[in-house]
Amino acid sequence: MADLPFESVYRKRGNTLFASILGGADPFDFWAGPFYVGLFGVIAMLAIVVGVATLFIAVGQYGDWDLWRANIPSPGRQYGLGGAPFLQGGAWQIVVICATISFFAWMLREVDICRKLEMGFHIPAMYGLAVSAWVVLQILRPLVMGCWCEGFDLSFTGHLTWVSNTGFRYMNFYANPFHAWAVLGFFLTAMVLAMHGGAILGTYNTDKDPNVEMRREDSFWRDYVGYSIGEYGIHRLGFYLAVFTLIMSDLCIFTSGPLVTDWVQFWHPF
Amino acid sequence: MATIISKLPELPEPLEDAEPNDLDNNDALGIRVGIPFRLELLRDFKIDTQVGTIWLGTWGVVSAFAFGIGLLVTLLAGLDQAGGSFLILVKYYANLNTAPPDGLGLAHSLRGGGYWQIITLFWAISTLAWAGRCFERLRRHKWRPYLLFAWLSAIFLTACIWVFHPLIIGSWADAPALGLNSDLQWAQNFSVLWGNLYYNPFHQLAIFFLFGSTMLWGMHGATILATSSEGSHHEDAEIKNLTSGSQKAMLFWRWTMGFNAFPKSIHDWLWWFAVGVVLSSGLGILSTGVITNNWYAWGVDHGTVKQYGEMTRSFINQRPQPMPPMSQAPAGYIPAPGK
Repeated sequence: MADLPFESVYRKRGNTLFASILGGADPFDFWAGPFYVGLFGVIAMLAIVVGVATLFIAVGQYGDWDLWRANIPSPGRQYGLGGAPFLQGGAWQIVVICATISFFAWMLREVDICRKLEMGFHIPAMYGLAVSAWVVLQILRPLVMGCWCEGFDLSFTGHLTWVSNTGFRYMNFYANPFHAWAVLGFFLTAMVLAMHGGAILGTYNTDKDPNVEMRREDSFWRDYVGYSIGEYGIHRLGFYLAVFTLIMSDLCIFTSGPLVTDWVQFWHPF
Repeated sequence: MATIISKLPELPEPLEDAEPNDLDNNDALGIRVGIPFRLELLRDFKIDTQVGTIWLGTWGVVSAFAFGIGLLVTLLAGLDQAGGSFLILVKYYANLNTAPPDGLGLAHSLRGGGYWQIITLFWAISTLAWAGRCFERLRRHKWRPYLLFAWLSAIFLTACIWVFHPLIIGSWADAPALGLNSDLQWAQNFSVLWGNLYYNPFHQLAIFFLFGSTMLWGMHGATILATSSEGSHHEDAEIKNLTSGSQKAMLFWRWTMGFNAFPKSIHDWLWWFAVGVVLSSGLGILSTGVITNNWYAWGVDHGTVKQYGEMTRSFINQRPQPMPPMSQAPAGYIPAPGK
């Protein structure tokens, strides 16, 4: 892929986390094709290679290569918080460790790119919040419940089966209030996304003057629903809706098991 | 109070309002109601402060009227269940349950599904009239009709759930009852009844789009907020002429994942992901009971899920009977408040 026409202006060495914390020149401060590498890119890539290799070796041992069914099961209950033999959950433990390392390295690589471009750190912050869902599901909740078997199997339909079983294990997940708030957040983000996408796709290049187009957006929303949040405000709304949804998702799964064992019973005192 | 709400002298006259066109003059109820004011409180959230005015319009009046009647009947149905007591209605609000009738005909009584049919009918009128309002306002403000098609897609999903699937099954009782817990229970029962919707590929795709929508809002919202100091939030202007804000936004994703969208094309991604949620969900509802009566068995047969233990197959060829509708509960039934 060819570089974007203005790309050379921005491709400058220096100002990485590595250089500012450890001092000296950063040996990984370069680009590979369109990708920025950096120290954390190298760490992420190493973890990804080890994790994916483990995944392939384990799937080969289990013998089912179908993309939908190929499954890395979490350790059995008897192993508790200890290590498990490779095919009884050890592969799952290695893949989870590698994935977690690569997620955090990827986040720090995003920080490096933000520093290079001298922009805000909203994207790595939001990415970190998304990673928190993984950490809660696969590490924190199993730790609190005292067994790696609480993590979900790594596969397409295998993790769906885990979600289904976990919902029924706590009687009815729809009665989990955090689950309800999270689902509301997911639906609201989709709705606001359609409204924003529709607004921009509906108005771009309908006039020579972009201010006229913007005014068209504002006066439409005021006519339609009585309020226009504005071209800056809509992005704040979307950002914070996504933050809200992710926090509620974290709470929804972290409370199930450590704090609450039956969400239907949970409501009875009320 | 004066700092929270102030009148609106300094805001420029809306450009479009200066010359009302024929569409406004042709609309019998074509007026803007209310006095625009600034809610200064909103400035703290860094969102626009102007509230109002709102357009009335014939379609809006029809929509609001139908919505009001639907709301009134909902209230009456709730009062009926609460034995006429507002206190009980509020206390057991979450457990109120206005259930659909059995069969496809008109309900024989209000409590036996009549309330549900009236509310559903007026709800449908209200949302469809709102689509008319959307169409009319989009033309007035010279928008392309993306917003209308998104709204119609959402109507398509609700129509699949409340109308098309009950018609396929042959009973309104297949549709959700109205009520906070009732529709959650419907979602749970519908999945169990049809052999676990997690193995329905359309449902899988819908959840992919739904989570993807949240992810895209996280990505797009964060990208614009992070670069808005250089003007990337002026998206109409950026589509015509890239400035440093958008250049940085594009380069961030190019350097991170080797691919970037553009100020216009990112909104294609956003719109299609959001619309994909409801279109795929609608197909998931329509295919249930048509493609298969048991999505888990369908998944096993098509190799998408492994078979967990023994499975009896005789039930798969029979269409499952819907759960006994809650309308069979005695009139005025209030669920026991636990201990």
